[in-house]
Amino acid sequence: MAEKKASVWTSISFWRRSAAWVTGFAVILLIFLTFDTMKQIRMGTDEELAKGIKRRIPAPTVVNYKIDYKYDEKRGLEAPVIGPEKQPLFGKELSPKEAAAMLHLGKLTVQAKNCMDCHTLLGNGAYYAPDLTKAWLDPMWEKTMPAMTGAKSKEEAMVKFLMHPEKYPTHARMMPNLGITEKEARGVVAFLKHMSSIDTNGYPRGFSKTAKEFETGGTYAK
Amino acid sequence: MGVMFEQCTDISCGNIFAWLNQGPLTLTIFLHTVIILPMIWIYFSEKKKLEKKN
Repeated sequence: MAEKKASVWTSISFWRRSAAWVTGFAVILLIFLTFDTMKQIRMGTDEELAKGIKRRIPAPTVVNYKIDYKYDEKRGLEAPVIGPEKQPLFGKELSPKEAAAMLHLGKLTVQAKNCMDCHTLLGNGAYYAPDLTKAWLDPMWEKTMPAMTGAKSKEEAMVKFLMHPEKYPTHARMMPNLGITEKEARGVVAFLKHMSSIDTNGYPRGFSKTAKEFETGGTYAK
Repeated sequence: MGVMFEQCTDISCGNIFAWLNQGPLTLTIFLHTVIILPMIWIYFSEKKKLEKKN
């Protein structure tokens, strides 16, 4: 009888061992990545903020600081720059507790009014209306909106707009009046300011503050 | 110059995946390496076993 050549490719135990290795390795890697992600998306503390320690998601008291958006040469993308100058929201510096409460109210309002039906927040939502991820940094709120709403500051203009969006023609697709109260609107502004301070690795790509006259993008590109 | 090994610029450079995710040594190549190399070893060990049986 001729000698039979053994083929590994048709051996069940080879495939079984390979599958066990791939599955086992993937399970261990995913468990590790889960904990690693949890560590990275943890919200920072007020102390870290005061010391200038960078975190992807800063503490709620970030609303007390000036937030800028600058091109990082090394990373090749734009990243939020927090402080060191202060720029308290509505001119009043908030304690960690007050800031967290305000942000929470803002978040609840954003959820209750279903902003994501039209807007995008951190990659979630629709593209019918402008992306709100970096809305706080949009120069429109400093250049045109205070004059249009008759408000003294950027945040006051945002509050006025949020309470009566149907009054101000900002976009071809007008935002409807959602019945947001002044307190809720203030919370939403704090929520938006905090969201703009989150390091999103340059997302959204189209939003660019440094691009000359927003020729290459920006929420309200010319 | 310095294409193979560049300074890590990610926000979390203490993380091995931040290093693996930039430059030519991407996470994909790394994962394929750690998955395929042991499979080669499994292949030859199975081959040895089959040859012994025969």
